[in-house]
Amino acid sequence: MNCYLGIDIGSISTKGVIVNDQDEIISSCYISTEGSPIEATKRLLNKLEIKDDYIIKGIGTTGSARKIIGLMLDANVVKNEITAHAIGTIHLYPNIKTILEIGGQDSKIIIIRNGIVTDYAMNTLCAAGTGSFLSSQAKRLDINVEDFGNIALKSKTPAKIAARCTVFAESDLVHKAQIGYSKEDIVAGLCKSVVLNYLNNVCKGKKLEEPIIFQGGVSKNKGVHKYFEEILGKEVIVHPNGHLMGAYGIALLAKKNKSNKEYSHKLLDIKFITLGTECHGCSNNCELIKIYKDNELVDTWGSKCGKF
Amino acid sequence: MSRITIGIPKALPYYYLNDFWESFFSNLDVDLVYSCDTNNEIIERGERYANDEMCLSLKVYLGHIDYLKDKCDYLLIPRIEDYGNRNQMCTNFLALYDLVNNLFDVHILNYNISSKEDELKSLIKMGEEIDISEEDIKKAYKKSIKLKTDSKKSDQDNLLIVAHPYVVYDESIGKPIINMLNKYPYNIIYSDCFDAEKCNINGSILSPNLYWKYPKENIGSILMTPNLKGIIFLSSFPCALDSLVNEYIIRKIDKPYLNIIIDNIDSLTGIETRIESFMDIVTQN
Repeated sequence: MNCYLGIDIGSISTKGVIVNDQDEIISSCYISTEGSPIEATKRLLNKLEIKDDYIIKGIGTTGSARKIIGLMLDANVVKNEITAHAIGTIHLYPNIKTILEIGGQDSKIIIIRNGIVTDYAMNTLCAAGTGSFLSSQAKRLDINVEDFGNIALKSKTPAKIAARCTVFAESDLVHKAQIGYSKEDIVAGLCKSVVLNYLNNVCKGKKLEEPIIFQGGVSKNKGVHKYFEEILGKEVIVHPNGHLMGAYGIALLAKKNKSNKEYSHKLLDIKFITLGTECHGCSNNCELIKIYKDNELVDTWGSKCGKF
Repeated sequence: MSRITIGIPKALPYYYLNDFWESFFSNLDVDLVYSCDTNNEIIERGERYANDEMCLSLKVYLGHIDYLKDKCDYLLIPRIEDYGNRNQMCTNFLALYDLVNNLFDVHILNYNISSKEDELKSLIKMGEEIDISEEDIKKAYKKSIKLKTDSKKSDQDNLLIVAHPYVVYDESIGKPIINMLNKYPYNIIYSDCFDAEKCNINGSILSPNLYWKYPKENIGSILMTPNLKGIIFLSSFPCALDSLVNEYIIRKIDKPYLNIIIDNIDSLTGIETRIESFMDIVTQN
């Protein structure tokens, strides 16, 4: 059976899917990146269960580490996550007009008209209101981030928490806890502040037309989903595979761009090492990343002058 | 007596005034020395003097001052207040002289650019500082040229970069981004490639109440670019003027646009993702 591998290596989590010729997901996996995209990809490939009768005809990579993993696996498609998310989503929802996406470090909005991406925006300088913010607040409150949504739904009067900036949100949260707000109300307030923060910082000036879909890791949080619908006054779709949409999209692209090439199942047997050095050839002192595949230097990244 | 050397930092006003400076000082008995292109070392030097509220471009400017301070007798630092009614300047340009004077122990050659003051008179006053006669200054001023640029006409599909020249032409800030864009089959046009006066008028059409000279001229270029396929707004963090003007203009245009704000030039991966995604949109539309 022909199949196509799509891998989305994000800052916090790494997602992988295997898609067949009918564009169905036949295997998927979601793991934590733990700061090492190469190790995460290796663990991911182990968990994906690539069966013996699968013929891998294409590999696509997306996400912030798409280039290095693309090089490691010799991917036939390496594409940014905006395009990958849009392609995956449009395939499942051809009429979709707005994609809200909140991931670990990034949050973005993609505007689609007639099946074509017409506009997008990403959070700029800070990671306020993203998954990593929720995780760190969960730790502070001693709650599993997975339970966040359900706890939030119990609240009737969410605490008002400043949405402009994570740092302010955090001090607000501490104050609210100290004056006696219940955990539910604080958690619900946090979920609401994530939505407000996202709408203020990412969606500014954009028209959010229906149908709207919410995806990325944070879309698993029912509280955030609820407040999106409440604040927008519109229905917001969440797909059970919403967190895999980037990987799915890039797998579809890998299928579209397939050649006659077949990939070996022994993807992991390649020795892949990266070394960080600093070049002192000029006053730029560029940080270089040297990439070795099977002990051979295949590429050097990071030089400004193009010497490498 | 040996000729004096005047140091010109390659940052901020350099990008607007150097054509004039070069021709003006070539008519006088002085030597000019320039700082090198911006590199990581310059930025690090600048950061040592900067405070957290300064924009990246101003930090870079201070780095250039630090680089030049031992290589010349005087540093040329104008104080630019305004160019007349509704042509105000960013306060950084007004503050440059005092800022450097407070932070560094250097000799500064200063003249004022202001609607309240005659430029020539100010230059004559500057001449006194280095013993150049009024006569000589007047002669040099008369001979000096003030270059005007105009766009290269192109029938190709154009991408317009709306940015201050000191951002977009800087070797370490704008250049890496332009290099990324050069991979695509579009002609790149810069907002300062047009006649500044015409840009100023067009800028007022887009935003009648805008009173800053440079942002007004930057956005005016939007109306003057033919075959415009996409606009990239490029600014250095935290530029107060751009943060207001660009956000406002973005809501008034119906072309694909991308807003890039550069703070730390070391992490280009995020910018690369944004540019790739944007170019996908431009190509598909």
